[in-house]
Amino acid sequence: MEYLVFRLYGPLASWGEAAVGGDRPSGLTPTRSAVLGMIAAGLGIKRENTERLNALRLSIGVAIKSYSTGSLVRDYHTAQVPSQDKKRRFYTRKDELSIAKEKLNTVLSSRDYRSDGYWVVAIWQQPDKAFSLAEIKKGLVKPAFTPYLGRKACPLAAPLFPQFIESDLKSALDCEFPPILQTDEQDKRWLGIGSYVTYLWQGQADALGCYEGVQSRNVWDEPISRMPWQFGMRQEHQLTMVEE
Amino acid sequence: MSKFIQLHLLTSYAPSNLNRDDLGRPKTARMGGSERLRVSSQSLKRNWRVSDLFEQSLGENIGTRTKRLGTQVFNQLTELGTAEKQAKAWAIEIAGVFGKGKKDSLDIEQLAHISPEEMQAVTSLATTLATENRGPDKEELALLRRNASAVDIALFGRMLASSPEFNCEAACQVAHAISVHGVAVEEDYFTAVDDLNNADSDLGAAHIGEAAFAAALFYSYVCIDKELLVNNLGGDLELANKAIAALVEAAVKVSPKGKQNSFASRAYASFVLAEKGDQQPRSLSVAFLKPISGENQAEDAVQVLQRQADNFDKVYGACADGRYSVNATTGEGSFEQLKTFIAD
Repeated sequence: MEYLVFRLYGPLASWGEAAVGGDRPSGLTPTRSAVLGMIAAGLGIKRENTERLNALRLSIGVAIKSYSTGSLVRDYHTAQVPSQDKKRRFYTRKDELSIAKEKLNTVLSSRDYRSDGYWVVAIWQQPDKAFSLAEIKKGLVKPAFTPYLGRKACPLAAPLFPQFIESDLKSALDCEFPPILQTDEQDKRWLGIGSYVTYLWQGQADALGCYEGVQSRNVWDEPISRMPWQFGMRQEHQLTMVEE
Repeated sequence: MSKFIQLHLLTSYAPSNLNRDDLGRPKTARMGGSERLRVSSQSLKRNWRVSDLFEQSLGENIGTRTKRLGTQVFNQLTELGTAEKQAKAWAIEIAGVFGKGKKDSLDIEQLAHISPEEMQAVTSLATTLATENRGPDKEELALLRRNASAVDIALFGRMLASSPEFNCEAACQVAHAISVHGVAVEEDYFTAVDDLNNADSDLGAAHIGEAAFAAALFYSYVCIDKELLVNNLGGDLELANKAIAALVEAAVKVSPKGKQNSFASRAYASFVLAEKGDQQPRSLSVAFLKPISGENQAEDAVQVLQRQADNFDKVYGACADGRYSVNATTGEGSFEQLKTFIAD
């Protein structure tokens, strides 16, 4: 099968999970919705364009190889907002914050990030072919909107370097990328990449090959609708192994 | 017009506590296996947005800082023959657009920065009101701050869960600033004596406390989607260029304000590299995965940053179409030219 493979690295990344109130946790690996969102940004699909987002969702399958999930950074985040005042209109953020201190309220949240995580993503065409892999590749090389790693404050810190690979899923995910530093050894040293890698994929449990220890679970990251904010369930398979 | 404008900045801070966590300690993150000092993206943006500098640089010429705009409008209206009572009411309404009005006064509570364009709009609105002998309507008032308001939202976005039709996607992306070297956050153990305690019975300090701090050379990264910015501003390219110039000025010169009185931590960027192009934007933070450890911190940081940009180009093909840099450690390049390069 033909795969489009690209890699994700940034000093900070955040992969949204079910978040209630002020707790904004991050998953260890990119979610399917995060990958779809980044591709949509490349293609220039706006958030409110439900139809095209849906078509994109049905067009591609996603698999991830996680070299390093990085370490957890928990950010204590405060934001000041003025009490509602129907008599006064605020034109800028500066206006909002220039009112009397006792009328400013502080909203707290705890935001999680993964620092120095390193992942490779492989996508393939589904029977529904609204978007081709070639089109998607173009969008990743010269994106229409700024791509980011889950949160806007998490820029990519290396080119995605999307490449076409004609092979089985595992070889596609195993394909080589130019090292981020000068050599692969340096990458391992400075990104803290160990010998364990984890593969995550959708579709058949044996799509990666015949291995023992494949775990399957249900995850809720199939983006159904942004209005209301709704995710569907899908099955994801996972395998961790030592890479020689 | 290039689609993306990327800014890479190196800014050095002496011991300070710019952005604090829930324990009051400077925020940190791990990169390349070592602890780094961090200033959150939100903190940087907030300080840029509320700075006078940001508002001022939106105007072409130096504006006016005043609490007394109301008085000026009142005088203008009465000179043009408006009755005093009406003139007062209208002047308060107009001044109220720039700040919260003081009770029973024409003045507003805070000093507001009023750009020459805004001042001109105020004067012409007052003339209209006097000739037509009527009060200002809501739209006319909103028009007075149109540019400042539009730029603020176009650059930094707006999210209203209650009315998503007013949402606006931010045209600028700001990364968390991260130190280029490893840091150990230090503690300042301090005591305060009671001046009226004559030490007859109690020799202790009246207060003891701890304040955490660290010094760092930060790498920060900003990416502006110019195409989106122009769209957000309804196609107004000229205003978009002004907005970009204002953002660059703020990013280079405005510091986070945390513990400012204890540390006087104000700094301008020592090095700025600007890039323009349509290629996928990427930060250059990998230059500092290996922490800078030598004694020539600033020089080394500039060198590895530039080398990283070159190496990315070598491996992946040109990652930008044009570059310009200013280096305040060696005195190369000029900030004015940097602004021209970016706005071009």
